[in-house]
Amino acid sequence: MSRSTVTFGMVIALSIPLFAQAGPKDDFEKAYSQAERTHQEAGTFQWTTTSDRLKAAQEAAGAGDYDAAARLARDALELAQQSVAQQQDQKEAWRITAIGD
Amino acid sequence: MLKAKVILVALGAALAVPAAMAGSTPEEDRKEAVEYFKQMFPDVPYEEYVNGQYALDEDRRSQWESLQDFPPYEFAVAEGKEMFETPFANGKTYASCFENDGIGVRQNYPYFDEKNNEVITLELAINRCREANGEQPLKYKKGNIASISAYMASTSQGKKFNIKVQDSAEAQAAYQAGKEFYYSRRGQLNFSCASCHVQNPGNWIRADLLSPALGQPSNFPVHRSKWGELGTLHRRFAGCNRNVRAEPLPAQSTEYRNLEFFLTYMSNGLPVVGPSTRP
Repeated sequence: MSRSTVTFGMVIALSIPLFAQAGPKDDFEKAYSQAERTHQEAGTFQWTTTSDRLKAAQEAAGAGDYDAAARLARDALELAQQSVAQQQDQKEAWRITAIGD
Repeated sequence: MLKAKVILVALGAALAVPAAMAGSTPEEDRKEAVEYFKQMFPDVPYEEYVNGQYALDEDRRSQWESLQDFPPYEFAVAEGKEMFETPFANGKTYASCFENDGIGVRQNYPYFDEKNNEVITLELAINRCREANGEQPLKYKKGNIASISAYMASTSQGKKFNIKVQDSAEAQAAYQAGKEFYYSRRGQLNFSCASCHVQNPGNWIRADLLSPALGQPSNFPVHRSKWGELGTLHRRFAGCNRNVRAEPLPAQSTEYRNLEFFLTYMSNGLPVVGPSTRP
């Protein structure tokens, strides 16, 4: 076996764990940035539960647990989307119960 | 044919105008709200609304009345008076910033400042006074600002709220924004201020007896047992928002000032009774 083949094989072998870890981290970063952006879109209709999930996701990522961080970020995204839907709905729906409208 | 079209347009306009105007002015809103609560609680005299939940529940009222022998906010009011009268470094006092030297003016706050197109609350005016005299602003939810505001409210006790919403588009918009905030559902629990204080006053939410919207600003600042101290109306707004899992906004944000403008206008004609106590 040539020396270059051995070197190539070692590089590949060492890279496998790196590739394996890049998945959850990428998932987390993508979900987190989308959740954060959506949370901001909610304006004055932001939910505390979204903020809590975002903070927990950051903490999990800080501890290196990207699987948990990605899961929390996806939870945050779902909540943020619901808060945006509430904001959109309330643009007109508030009138339904208003006295004097 | 043309004549028929003209008649149809005129008829449409005639029908649309009253619909668009129904309940559209602040005073119409207020009158309608008073009537709404009168029908909901026919045995509660109008002036009693300033006492919130104590107007609706006799047991709670008797506990509250016994607390009035030694109200827990008395020391804070005395401190507020001292701070109010103590000159700033430049020798002036708060009195220099207010009409009638700041005595007996609580019932006129908040007001809409047409020069800068914004709602001015009493706490904002206190801090603006400090800044105009070279002092650092105070934090808005509790502490010294609540004590000063409580002292100023105490000099207005019995005076009826007289909030004015001018005809200008800006003043009307501030009122409408406050109204929209009040009736908009927020937070994961999907509650509006009105869900509790218009639709469900007199009902219990866990251990809390919900108070009616009318008269709510009359008793602020309040000493809440939960807080163990005095707090401002905007501190309460933030707490309510948090209770329904909505992110609270900063005290004295434009949104909360507009909300206070709307809510206090609804209490026009009711007297200032603050500071007061609440659970």
